[in-house]
Amino acid sequence: MPAVLRSACLLPLFALLLAACGGADRDAAQSDELEQRRAKAQAAMEHHYANQPSLGPALREAFERGDVTQDEIDAMAAAGELQPFFVFATPDDLPDDLTWQDGSDLPEFASPEAKKGGTWYTAVQDYPRTLRRVGPDANSAFRPFILDDVVMNFGQRHPEDISIVGGNFRYYPGIAESWAEDRENRTVYVRINPAARWSDGERITADDLLFMFYFFQSEWINEPWYNNFYSRNYVRVVRYDDLTFSVTVPEAKPDMLGRVLGLEPLPAHFFEEFGPDFVDRYQWRFVPTSGAYVIRDEDVRRGRTIALTRNPDWWAKDLPFWRHRYNYDRIHFSVIRDTAKRFESFRAGEIDAFGLNLPDYYYDRLPDDDDLVARGLVGKYTFYNERPRPTYGFWINSSRPLLDNRDIREGIHYASNWERVLREYFRGDYTRMHTTADGYGEFTHPDIRARDFDVDKALEAFARAGFTERDSEGVLVNERGQRLAFTLTTGYENLQDILTIMQREALQAGLRFRVEVLDGTAAWKKVQEKQHDIQFTAFNVGPEMYPRYWETYHSVNAYDRAFLPDGAPNPDRRPMVQTNNLQLIANRELDALIERYRASESAEEMRKLAFEMEEILFEDASFVPGFVMPFYRVAAWRWARWPEHFDVRLSRDPLQYFLGWIEPGERERILAARRSDQRFEPVIEVHDRYRPE
Amino acid sequence: MRLNPLTLRKLKRFREIRRGYYSFLILIGLLGLSAVSELIINDRALAVRYEGAWSFPTYGPVELGAVYGLEGTAARRPVDYRDLAAHFEAQDVGNRVIMPLIPWGPYYNDAVGGILRAEPPNFERGHYLGTDTTGRDILARLVYGFRTAMLFALAFTALTYLIGVTIGCAMGYFGGLFDLLFQRIIEIWSNVPFLYMVIIIFSVIPATFSASARIGILLIIMVLFSWTGLTYYMRTATYKEKARDYTAAAQVLGASTSRIVFRHILPNTVATMVTFVPFTVVGAITAITALDFLGFGLPPPTPSIGEMLKQGTANLTTAPWIVSSAFAALVVILLLVTFIGEAVREAFDPRQFTLYK
Repeated sequence: MPAVLRSACLLPLFALLLAACGGADRDAAQSDELEQRRAKAQAAMEHHYANQPSLGPALREAFERGDVTQDEIDAMAAAGELQPFFVFATPDDLPDDLTWQDGSDLPEFASPEAKKGGTWYTAVQDYPRTLRRVGPDANSAFRPFILDDVVMNFGQRHPEDISIVGGNFRYYPGIAESWAEDRENRTVYVRINPAARWSDGERITADDLLFMFYFFQSEWINEPWYNNFYSRNYVRVVRYDDLTFSVTVPEAKPDMLGRVLGLEPLPAHFFEEFGPDFVDRYQWRFVPTSGAYVIRDEDVRRGRTIALTRNPDWWAKDLPFWRHRYNYDRIHFSVIRDTAKRFESFRAGEIDAFGLNLPDYYYDRLPDDDDLVARGLVGKYTFYNERPRPTYGFWINSSRPLLDNRDIREGIHYASNWERVLREYFRGDYTRMHTTADGYGEFTHPDIRARDFDVDKALEAFARAGFTERDSEGVLVNERGQRLAFTLTTGYENLQDILTIMQREALQAGLRFRVEVLDGTAAWKKVQEKQHDIQFTAFNVGPEMYPRYWETYHSVNAYDRAFLPDGAPNPDRRPMVQTNNLQLIANRELDALIERYRASESAEEMRKLAFEMEEILFEDASFVPGFVMPFYRVAAWRWARWPEHFDVRLSRDPLQYFLGWIEPGERERILAARRSDQRFEPVIEVHDRYRPE
Repeated sequence: MRLNPLTLRKLKRFREIRRGYYSFLILIGLLGLSAVSELIINDRALAVRYEGAWSFPTYGPVELGAVYGLEGTAARRPVDYRDLAAHFEAQDVGNRVIMPLIPWGPYYNDAVGGILRAEPPNFERGHYLGTDTTGRDILARLVYGFRTAMLFALAFTALTYLIGVTIGCAMGYFGGLFDLLFQRIIEIWSNVPFLYMVIIIFSVIPATFSASARIGILLIIMVLFSWTGLTYYMRTATYKEKARDYTAAAQVLGASTSRIVFRHILPNTVATMVTFVPFTVVGAITAITALDFLGFGLPPPTPSIGEMLKQGTANLTTAPWIVSSAFAALVVILLLVTFIGEAVREAFDPRQFTLYK
């Protein structure tokens, strides 16, 4: 750096100047380095576009299993045996016979009465540990606000009209203007809306979609699940021009259209420094969004508060299906760890709404005759929704001694008194879950009924397994002196009461549950390492068309080598860790059905297969279905307003589709009314259009 | 046993300190009652008269309904003695069930009005302090929780004194290298953070361990980290006594080390050590309550005061009777022990008997 050398000879008098000089040089050096980094990132991206082969499911799965190495794949690609994943074509290459659709026949679901403005105050339990959307710590409770519920996809599933037409759910346009489906070639063509802009003003183009695939296939994001998903489930992406592209999937599954429209492009220009240090470099940078809300740097007060701000120039603000939504100017989050404190904060008017899903909050802590409710300052709302249900229940590890006996597992079913919990603890508000996949509409088995609590049937089942005598504590023992006692682990501290109730009930049938309450992370770790006996837990499920079986029930997710070549169970098999097969089911018949289900392209056939699988799972009896919460409940201050119909069918909470608004000037008026003894008409609403019979 | 006249005078002095003495009597009474709490607060019958014969199920094995001629499913499940009482009454053939004074166990979920929730005190139903959030009787849980806490505290005190006094006395009596070595060991050991150790060790204990085994482990961990405090007092006291003429005289007379330690030094240091006992007990009760409050203590659903405090603070506005019962119980126990401690210290204070002018 010659400038520095020259100035170093000058007198100390010029120290100040010198420092400034050095600073400028450092800046220059830094921008040089940035330039190099950008060039490198650009080169890596282009290399990926030019060389990434299309693996498809078979090869990708073989690679995951370790049957094929990266070198072999490279060799195959070099020999030209593999198709390229990224293809650059011209508009002339587009087929002529496509039928373009844009979902414009669907009804809008937001209320035209909604008014923009105001700040919505709410609280989170933990401060987000990153603003990245992928990578370590990104999958947090805050992610919906920077990704799932705010960012636009190419097309969105209609949350009210959940019918399946022509094999597809109904979609309304997001970033896409229109789309066309070519089932025969398993390809979806998409035209991007020319008006689409990122929140920093840049255009959204097909390059951003290509970049998204590159990004999610890259190991630099430190997310194996994304790497696998975006390599296995898509086989080709073709760019026709700035605004037109197509994506090809390996199997024409019934929800093929959704798999493409559900993609969200990423701003390539923002990730121009993408490299191996992505996780650290982008930790606190807000990704420009296609959605309505942005996070400004000055609103990130780490560990304390964070706020979303409505982008007044949001490109989609007047677009059908998007107008009259995202009405709050700001959404302000503070951190309150303790639920009881959050509730007090709500009562004080510091946060605007509070979830009342648990019965003691709905009935005891905020009863209808509570002063705030009776005076109409706070409204109570119940909204029955219709969506796939989280799988709350007992997950029995069938690789454990005694639990590997189906009779004992069946006995555990009959000895689990969910009825009492539902009736006396949940006060009849929740309902019993019956299958492993409730809430999937026509993909949910209509006839299977969970086994009810029945001491006699439980004792019979245990007796078949050799447990006939009771010891002095009333627990069954067999001839070899083994006790019928299992550890029942959970990470849900707020639901531990359920387990202590069921513990006492199970003892009636001579079954001892040892209740173990761990913190959430420790409990999840235990179950992921397959160290549990019985786990009370749930998988959260998205509103997909049909349930997934491979992850939770295929034998490759149960044991390292589940079967010997002749099909007999391998005596030396070891449980697979870090998979979702928590029951360690390894059943060849089930495996075959799962594989057919995965490969099937017909909704009718998949439904039949799903039912067959549910019947096998019911027979296997290693999952005790728990409860279903068929609604969400919320209390909100009177200044919060909602559409007539309150929310949409698929919603899980009011901040998912953002249909509510704040009546201007009302906050001040209501808070003032609170100090006087003014009363309003009480608001206690139950919206039960989608209440099951 | 013949007591030293000096000790007798100390005991007499203790009796004269009314507040401490009565506290002592009350605490002993409570301990005595809690030792037989199964007979007073329990959901198992005290006595059952069936077909002319009496049986006493309180301490026996779990009985199935068939024993009392119940039919159907009830014959094959453990007897619910409250239901049995109602059944016998309906039969009216001379069979009867005598329930304890308070007919609730610490684990019984009583759904008042068909709903499991915290119910305020209800004398008619026998919930004198109300129920907790799953319909369990608070008085029953307090009594059983108190028993566990007291047993724990007493065992803790006995063990810490055993270790602390032994090592402290040896340090003071032998002195020299032994003393030096143990001082360093204690310095290092007492710097290990106790709470972290409890949390770490409890995170690796498998849940297959029974509740009593877990209490035992908790006890051992706490003792291991608490004996160090006592050694220094004991060491000083021993040094002081060893330098006295009577010890030298005993040595000259040819008394063995064990005789000197046990007959001469230990009895003379008792005064110092005894005054710490009640405060050690208080410390132990507070510690186990705090650990339970934080969720690192006894496994659910074991009754404990700490767990009740936790539940009570979470339901402060809707069920104030939970936290007030637990809090009052804790205050009473700690006050009693503290009063005893004050009285013991005063009674054993040498200034009562010597006058320096």
